[in-house]
Amino acid sequence: MQLEGSVYDSSSERSDYDDHRRGTGDEHDDFLFPWKPSIMAPEPKNTAGGGATREEASTKVPKKKDEKKDEDLSEEDLALKQQLELYVERVQDPDPGLQKVALESMRQEIRTSTSSMTSVPKPLKFLRPHYGTLKAYYETMKDSDQKKFLADILSVLALTMSAEGERESLKYRLLGSKGDIGSWGHEYVRNLAGEIAQEYTKHQNEEVPIDDIMDLVQQIVEFHMKHNAEPEAVDLLMEVEDLDLLVEHVDIANYKRTCLYLTAAARYLPDPDDMLVLDIAYGIYMKFDEYASALQIALLLDNQQYVNQIFSTCDDLFQKKQFCYILARQGVPFVLDDNMVLEEDDREQLQDIINNAKLSEGYLTLARDIEVMEPKSPEDIYKAHLLDGRASASATVDSARQNLSATFVNAFVNAGFGQDKLMTVPSEASSGSSSGNWLFKNKEHGKISVAASLGMILLWDVDSGLSQIDKYLHSSDNHVIAGALLGIGIVNCNIKNDCDPALALLGDYIDKEDPSIRIGAVMGLGITYANTQNEMIRRKFMPILGDSKAPLDVIAFTAISLGLVYVGSCNEEVAQAILFSLMDRSDTELGDPLTRLLPLGLGLLYLGKQDSVEATTEVSKTFNEKFRKYCDMTLLSCAYAGTGNVLKVQSLLGHCAQHLDKGETHQGPAVLGIAMVAMAEELGLEMAIRSLEHLLQYGEQNIRRAVPLAFGLLCISNPKVNVMDTLSRLSHDSDSEVATAAIISLGLIGAGTNNARIAGMLRNLSSYYYKDANSLFCVRIAQGLVHLGKGLLTLNPYHSDRFLLSPTALAALVIVLHACLDMKPIILGKYHFVLYFLVLAMQPRMLMTVDENLRPLSVPVRVGQAVDIVGQAGRPKTITGFQTHSTPVLLAAGDRAELATEKYIPLSPILEGFVILKQNPDYREDQ
Amino acid sequence: MGQGSSTGLNRQGLPGDRKSDGDKKDKKYEPAAPPARVGRKQRKQKGPEAAARLPTVTPLTKCKLRLLKLERIKDYLLMEEEFVTNQERLKPQEEKTEEDRSKVDDLRGSPMSVGNLEELIDENHAIVSSSVGPEYYVSILSFVDKDQLEPGCAILMHNKVLSVVGILQDEVDPMVSVMKVEKAPLESYADIGGLDAQIQEIKEAVELPLTHPELYEDIGIKPPKGVILYGEPGTGKTLLAKAVANSTSATFLRVVGSELIQKYLGDGPKLVRELFRVADDLSPSIVFIDEIDAVGTKRYDAHSGGEREIQRTMLELLNQLDGFDSRGDVKVILATNKIESLDPALLRPGRIDRKIEFPLPDIKTRRRIFQIHTSRMTLAGDVNLEEFVMTKDEFSGADIKAICTEAGLLALRERRMKVTQADFKKAKEKVMFKKKEGVPEGLYM
Repeated sequence: MQLEGSVYDSSSERSDYDDHRRGTGDEHDDFLFPWKPSIMAPEPKNTAGGGATREEASTKVPKKKDEKKDEDLSEEDLALKQQLELYVERVQDPDPGLQKVALESMRQEIRTSTSSMTSVPKPLKFLRPHYGTLKAYYETMKDSDQKKFLADILSVLALTMSAEGERESLKYRLLGSKGDIGSWGHEYVRNLAGEIAQEYTKHQNEEVPIDDIMDLVQQIVEFHMKHNAEPEAVDLLMEVEDLDLLVEHVDIANYKRTCLYLTAAARYLPDPDDMLVLDIAYGIYMKFDEYASALQIALLLDNQQYVNQIFSTCDDLFQKKQFCYILARQGVPFVLDDNMVLEEDDREQLQDIINNAKLSEGYLTLARDIEVMEPKSPEDIYKAHLLDGRASASATVDSARQNLSATFVNAFVNAGFGQDKLMTVPSEASSGSSSGNWLFKNKEHGKISVAASLGMILLWDVDSGLSQIDKYLHSSDNHVIAGALLGIGIVNCNIKNDCDPALALLGDYIDKEDPSIRIGAVMGLGITYANTQNEMIRRKFMPILGDSKAPLDVIAFTAISLGLVYVGSCNEEVAQAILFSLMDRSDTELGDPLTRLLPLGLGLLYLGKQDSVEATTEVSKTFNEKFRKYCDMTLLSCAYAGTGNVLKVQSLLGHCAQHLDKGETHQGPAVLGIAMVAMAEELGLEMAIRSLEHLLQYGEQNIRRAVPLAFGLLCISNPKVNVMDTLSRLSHDSDSEVATAAIISLGLIGAGTNNARIAGMLRNLSSYYYKDANSLFCVRIAQGLVHLGKGLLTLNPYHSDRFLLSPTALAALVIVLHACLDMKPIILGKYHFVLYFLVLAMQPRMLMTVDENLRPLSVPVRVGQAVDIVGQAGRPKTITGFQTHSTPVLLAAGDRAELATEKYIPLSPILEGFVILKQNPDYREDQ
Repeated sequence: MGQGSSTGLNRQGLPGDRKSDGDKKDKKYEPAAPPARVGRKQRKQKGPEAAARLPTVTPLTKCKLRLLKLERIKDYLLMEEEFVTNQERLKPQEEKTEEDRSKVDDLRGSPMSVGNLEELIDENHAIVSSSVGPEYYVSILSFVDKDQLEPGCAILMHNKVLSVVGILQDEVDPMVSVMKVEKAPLESYADIGGLDAQIQEIKEAVELPLTHPELYEDIGIKPPKGVILYGEPGTGKTLLAKAVANSTSATFLRVVGSELIQKYLGDGPKLVRELFRVADDLSPSIVFIDEIDAVGTKRYDAHSGGEREIQRTMLELLNQLDGFDSRGDVKVILATNKIESLDPALLRPGRIDRKIEFPLPDIKTRRRIFQIHTSRMTLAGDVNLEEFVMTKDEFSGADIKAICTEAGLLALRERRMKVTQADFKKAKEKVMFKKKEGVPEGLYM
């Protein structure tokens, strides 16, 4: 204001002002505003303005009287308004020279105007009333440069004027001079983009060619990409369904943001579109040689070809090592060939990484660094001394059950450490073998779990694991042998070994007479060869399914194991075999709780494979009503697990809405299904938690029993406070099955976190339920889970920043949860070893940095809560509330890490698991 | 008041359970489940109900991803709605809760006496006292939400057996609740003459962050937390704050600095805490503290307890403005005419990010103010306000208003229907004289 005021001080203006005071002073109406003319007619900056001023001054005075509204305007605004009105008149002048000047200055005025962030710029506001006249005049104009100019201005004016759906801005833009699109400002471009999207859908419906607007799209995309507005460029291209254009326009500065946006959007797009978007993101990453990110996308797409392509395109050996770590974490079977890695030695080394051969070593390094090698006994976990009174005197109830729970706690807590206080105590310490002693403190089927727990303790350490378990194989007790077989399977979990020791050892036991031995062998093989699609296994297992004399439990575990081995493969033959086996069952057998594992095994074959399940669903229609529904729910929930498909959630919720009175059981899997489908992304997860609360409120008992388990799956290893509170409330429920399910789920949501709050809750529960053996057993299991691997492990199937889903881990969780749906006969009965399936989901939640020779390297990293940075400008910080540690470090759920030093460059974009660091060539030591 | 009972009901499992419980061959009485924790009450969850809150959606910028995410939430909400309506149709929950509620009401009896919880003995027993009489050892009924009980809280007791039947939860300090501006003031931005730059600044700092947070995210900055308005008396600081209150739909809390000074030790800081807690609960909200120099003067060695207390109040204010707990959507406007006497800690960026000066009006502004004030007056034809506008004397906005009022009064005295130029002249002299007289020049020099 001040500044402009000084401009008006020129003497000519002053005289003008005096004139007007004299002229208007007598008029009564106007006496309040004698000053108004004083600032009228700011000298237009363009050359043509000089002559116009006076003429304008004369026209203006009467106008002012007409429009009382003007009183609201400040002086400058009024002047501007009059100025613009003049231009409008001049544009309609027949003289082309004058026209041109007027257009030019109008343009100037619009472009230079700035305003507050939310209001319409003033020149546009004042030109609004003239939009109609200009438009009419435009139609009468002859083709010329001026006409194009005018079209440009009309296009800008249409920004505020054009009626909804008219798309006049676009229309005039296409008629205009097609100059630089950015010169009219962002808002204009943004509006244009919106109109293009509408126009495009219209064209689509009428099947009109769209070449003209595609030109414009090109321009707009280019503009957006240059101005840090990648999301807008992507949005526009998505609207016009031509994302391919994006690849040309991304550059090294913005491709990361673009891809981040694409991948984030893919989670929420409907089915075919998301694949397309991910494809584009893959293409962009490949273009900029960002192979590690490309690999993540390839894995998400589950596209073997892309993985191969990445391996053959990338020629950096160290990067390839990093790829192998990523593949190993995802747990996909992958065999390198000559094309991918030339040198024999290198290939062997890389294959070793994929086979997870060094996992145990890395895990132990982590444990040593954090100083948790010291084995823990179950009593250290129970911390009974913290409880007062009644609990301490509880040793009397069912000691076998207590020993069994202690076995599980011991196994979970010391998983992978190779030493504990029950099973592996050095033999010279107590005469004989104390582990043997512990073994014989358990009865019958309990011994299976005890022997198998040794496998858990020696997890991933194949060599010493096999030698230590070996002694049990020669036991005379069938249960011990069964446990040993299972233990061997557990040791080899997620590890691939060229000699296939598991198959060699376990293969013979499959056809033994004793059912428990057979189950042990089958389950062991299933765990070892999960997701390998091993032909040998299939050939061995198929006959069991067809064997009419085989006991039901053996068949059930065979089906599950086959499901695990062929998880997500849609293998027809296996599906057929399981279906036939199901058809052979009599109605009484179908009522058996273990039978539920058969459809689950079938479901696992289609885990996350969406539509492919349909054929099988058709076949399952032949079962009787009750079982068919159960089958349907299981298949549906498995097939859409981890997709976030809202329609499926809706249909599952629909099934839960019915109130049944015939004792049907299919609602349990439906509730779990909601969790399985919705766990794909954060929003769905949060919303599913809300929906589950409603189920809890309205559902019958069979639904309420499944709800805690669904919570457990949704928040696995991620203790959210609100869920924790809900579960804590449910753990005191009057229905004992709801309570036990809630207790187990408390363990699941706290799995591997050492969460003190959950630990405290469970301790209180242990004293509350001290008389109830079943509940107490569950509390103990939950306690073991919370301290899983002394807090170094996680059960979360999602990894790499919640981007990828490990199918085996999810399958394992689903099996255990399905088993928990009917707790009494399975987990509380004699099939408690089902819990060992969890081993498939166990992964160290660590960040381990290694140098190029894969030796551990300690560097400072910042660890903090991850922040969603999708679609944000600049380089926002990715973590908040961070702490600096030196690697190896633990990452909690929702944590993210970043290097705190510039000295190294990580080869993986996501710092999780094993990450190879490369020396930064540009790094200079600070003086 | 009755909230206590309803929340108590919801938290203690569902009515359905109890019924099925009864069916099972009446077991030996078992005490109700122990509360998850005893002792300090759980901090009340933010907002209306934490569970009902929808997840936040990032990014804030308008883009397709945001649209997709919002649509996803909408889908889920629709499903919830469908489910709940279905369930209600199949088996109306309402009747049942109604039934339960009336049962609870029976149990509570009427009238209930109000008392104080002295001590929690175990899960089901407590020592209570009423305003008169001794303390009693009584039982707590099972439908009372034990998580909400804490020693010292106000409770409802049965009129005969004095057992605890409910909790009084209205904990907002009445002192704070009066600060809330329920009726928007009539002054709008249009009633402010000039001050365009100031309006723009306060809009950017206070209003836009609440209405368009995405603009700030786009640029990649954190919006300012608070502003201070300062300048000579009568330059429109309070007026601008009123205009903000008029135009915003956010909760507007207004306090005068002197209100924060309380009779008893610790009451002042407590009031500040309460004020900000309420602001947080009702967020988005704007807190306006007028005449902040009442509490915000520079710290120095205080001699009296009163001074120390005022300083402590300020320290609490400092903490609330930018302390350990982050304030979400709470914006603060301070106003003073002695900014130089304020404590520097109060004004540092991060607490108060913007300092907006209100200068004496320049000629243009003066003209505008005159226009505003005279717009509803009947003026004689000879009035030429330009004379006053162009004068060299220093006027504030308030002075101009005083001149106009005075002129009007003079006209009234002479029973004229129009205000003349002479009236204005006289009025101006009078006002200027009084203004000078207020501070006799050179008297104390």
